[in-house]
Amino acid sequence: MRYKVKCVCDSFNPRKCLSFPLFLHTVRTAEPLEYHRSYLKENCRHDGRELSEFRTTTLNIGSISTADGSALVKLGNTTVICGIKAELANPTVEAPGKGYIVPNVDLPPLCSSRFRPGPPGEQAQAASQFIADVIESSEVIQTEDLCIDRGKLCWVLYCDLMCLDYDGNLLDACIIALLAALKNTKLPEVTINTETCSPEVNLEKRRELHVHKHPVGASFCIFDNSILIVDPMSEEESLCTAHLTVVTDEEERLCAVHKPGGTSLSGEKLQECITRAATRQREIQKLIDKVINSVKAAQ
Amino acid sequence: MPTDTKRVRGPEVSQSPSLFSCKPAAVLPPHGPRADGRQRDQVDVRPVFVRCGLVSQAKGSAYIEAGNTKLMSCVYGPRETERKDETDMKCGRLTTDMRFAPFSCPERGSWIQGSQDKDLSLMLHESLQPAVCLHKYPRSQIEVNVMVLENSGSVLAHAVTCASLALADAGIEMYDLVLGCSIRQDGSSHVVDPTYMEENSCGSVSSENQGGLTVAFLPSLNQISGLQSDGEMTEETLTAGVRTCIEGCYKLYPVIQQALAKAVRRAAAPPSES
Amino acid sequence: MEVYGSSGVSLREFGCEQSLLSRPDGSASFIQGDTSVLAGVYGPAEVKVSKEIYDRATLEVLMQPKVGLPSVRERSQEQCVRETCEASLLLSLHPRSSLTLILQVLHDDGSLLSCSLNAACMALMDAGLPMSCLFCGVTCAIDTEGRIITDPTAAQEKESRALMTFAIDSKEHRVLMSATKGSFSVNELQQCIAVSQSASEKIFQFYRDSVRRRYSKTL
Repeated sequence: MRYKVKCVCDSFNPRKCLSFPLFLHTVRTAEPLEYHRSYLKENCRHDGRELSEFRTTTLNIGSISTADGSALVKLGNTTVICGIKAELANPTVEAPGKGYIVPNVDLPPLCSSRFRPGPPGEQAQAASQFIADVIESSEVIQTEDLCIDRGKLCWVLYCDLMCLDYDGNLLDACIIALLAALKNTKLPEVTINTETCSPEVNLEKRRELHVHKHPVGASFCIFDNSILIVDPMSEEESLCTAHLTVVTDEEERLCAVHKPGGTSLSGEKLQECITRAATRQREIQKLIDKVINSVKAAQ
Repeated sequence: MPTDTKRVRGPEVSQSPSLFSCKPAAVLPPHGPRADGRQRDQVDVRPVFVRCGLVSQAKGSAYIEAGNTKLMSCVYGPRETERKDETDMKCGRLTTDMRFAPFSCPERGSWIQGSQDKDLSLMLHESLQPAVCLHKYPRSQIEVNVMVLENSGSVLAHAVTCASLALADAGIEMYDLVLGCSIRQDGSSHVVDPTYMEENSCGSVSSENQGGLTVAFLPSLNQISGLQSDGEMTEETLTAGVRTCIEGCYKLYPVIQQALAKAVRRAAAPPSES
Repeated sequence: MEVYGSSGVSLREFGCEQSLLSRPDGSASFIQGDTSVLAGVYGPAEVKVSKEIYDRATLEVLMQPKVGLPSVRERSQEQCVRETCEASLLLSLHPRSSLTLILQVLHDDGSLLSCSLNAACMALMDAGLPMSCLFCGVTCAIDTEGRIITDPTAAQEKESRALMTFAIDSKEHRVLMSATKGSFSVNELQQCIAVSQSASEKIFQFYRDSVRRRYSKTL
C-alpha cells in the first residue's frame, strides 16, 4: 500500500491534480513531506502563497476593557491575544529607578490539540523567554519610564499573551500583539500623598505609554536544507529542518536573530531574511499606526 | 509559596492600582434602571453576538459576546482516551476545562488555575453531560475547553451556551442544545444576565433573598440540565427565578439557532466554480 | 581580556576532560576561563511511549543551573542546545529510542551557552553516538565602542551592547544556531559570524587534539 502511494507521489503535480480534492487530501495525509515538496518545486505553497509571502495580518486593538491595553492579532489562522495589566510594586534594590515588564506566553489546550493542559510546555516557555529578550534588546519600553517614585514605587506591566488558534508562526504574532497592546496601554495617574506617603491613583486620568521602538519579527523555515519560506503554517513548521526568526526595528537595527539549531544557513540566505524582515517591519508598523488612528478617530 | 519556574517572574508582590484609587468605587443604585440602561425585574438579557467555527485547529469552536463578557470555546475529539485506566467500553468521556485569561477580570488573575476555575469547570461538565449522546462514542473522549477573555458577569451561563454551540459545531451528537441564563436576586428585585458589577455588589440592606442563580436549559426538550444557586432565597423566589431564567434562555434560542444554521450553511456550501 | 584585532581571534584558555563520570554512557566537562559545564549523555535507551517518535530517536536536554531550579531562561537554552544536537546527530539510526543530555553548570563566568554547546558536543562524542558533523559554540560581545570581544567574561557581557552566541558546524563552518541579545546592525552581525567562524577552527583543533591525546593513551 505504501509503495502505491509513493509511486503516485513521484509523478504528483499539484497543478494537474487541483480538480481532485480527495486525491490531494490523501497525498497530504500519507506523504506530507512529498506533498509540500511538490508545491515548493513549483515555487509556490499549498495555500497559494509565494515563498516569501506572509499571510493576511489583521489587528484589533483595545477590545478587552478589563485590561489596561490589549490587542488581538490574526496571522492567517493563527490568533494571539495580548492583554496588559499594570500593577504597583516596589522596585528592586539593584535597580531603584526601574519598573518591571513581565511577558508570558501561554499555549492553552484550546488553541491546538498538540498542547496538553497543565503548566506551560517547552515551546511556551521558550516563547516567553524570547519575548522577554526582545523587549529587553529592542528597548521598546524603557523600564525607567515605569518608575513612579525612585526606590519606592514603580509599575509592573504584566503582558499576558495567549494563543487562541495555533497555526504556526507564533513568535511573529506574539511580537505584533505585544507591540500593538503596548501602544494601546494607558496608565492611570499616580501621585504620592506627602502626608501619608501612600500612593493615590486617579483612574480617570490616564496617559499613554511611551513606545520608543517598534520591533517586528519575521519568521522563516528552511525546507530540505535549502528552500527558504516565510511565515510557516504549523504543518510546514513540523516538517521543516530549521526555524529562524529575525526581529528588526524601524532603524533597521537587528534586535534578535534567533535560530534555535536546525540545519545550517549560509550568509547570503541570512542576508535575504534580514532584508525581508526589514520590509515586514515597515508593513506592520504602518498597519499598527493605521489601526491606532482609526481607534482614536472612533473615540 | 513555591515559585513558578515555568514562567517569566515579576516582583514578589504587586498590587492593583484600583486599591489606591482616590475616588471611591461607584455604588450601583438599588432601584430604577440598571447602569447599562436595561430594565430591572424583567427578562432583559444583553444582546449577544455569536459565531461558530473560528478556530481552524479545533473540531468545533464558538465565540460568544454578551455585553462585555467575551468567551471562546473549542471542542477536540472524539479521540482515544489518554488514560487507559479510564477507558469506558460503553460510554464516551466528556472533559471540560474552563479558564480565565489573566487579564479577564478587573483584578489580574494568576496563570495557575484556581479553585474557582475548577468549580466552574465541574459545573459546566454537569450541565453539558446530559445533553451529549455519550453512548455513541465508546472508548473515546471529547474535550471541551472554554476560555474567558473578558469577564463582565454571568460567565457560567454564557460558558454553557458557548460550549454547547461548539459541541454542535464539532458535529458531536446531542439530544439538544444547552442554553444558560443567570439572574441575581437582590432583596425583592432581581436583575437578569447581571454584569460583573451587579454580581459583586450588594444594593439593599436586607439580608433576605440575596443570591445568584444560574440555570442550564435544554430548550426543545424543555428540561433543566444544570442549576446552581448561591446565597439565600425563599422557595418562591427561587422557583420564580428558575422560571425567569428559562424565559431568558428562550430569548437566546433563536440567535443561537441562527448562528448554527449559518455555520452549517458555510460548511456545506456548494463548491465554487473556480 | 582578549580583544579581536588583526592578529586573529583570541579565546580564553579552554580545557576539557572526557569520560570523567562512570554512570552515564558519555560525559565531558568543558572549561572556558572560569566558566565550566559538566555534561552527561544517556542512551540510546528505551523511550516513554508518549515521547516515542517512530522514525528517529527522541533527544531530551536538561540544563541545571549552579543554584536553584531551572527557570524559563534555562528552558530556552535547552531548546537551543537540543535543536543544535538534533541537527548534527544522526537520530534516524536509532528510531523509537531516547537520548538524554544533562548539562550541569558548575560555574558561570560568561559565554555559558557556548560552553554548554562545547560540553554537549564532547559528551556526545564520548558516548560514541553517530553524528554527521561536530559543532562548537562561540560567544561574541560588542562593547560600547563597537569592538568585538570573543568569549567574553561575565563582566564583559554586562558592559557589552550586544551579545551573540553561534553554533558553528565543522563541515562547512556555517551557522547552526544563533541566539542574540541587544540590538546591532547587519554589518556587525556579519562581522561577528566571520569572527566566530575563525574562532571555531581553534575549537575544532582543540577537539581533535584532546581526542587524539585521549586515544593515544588507551591504544
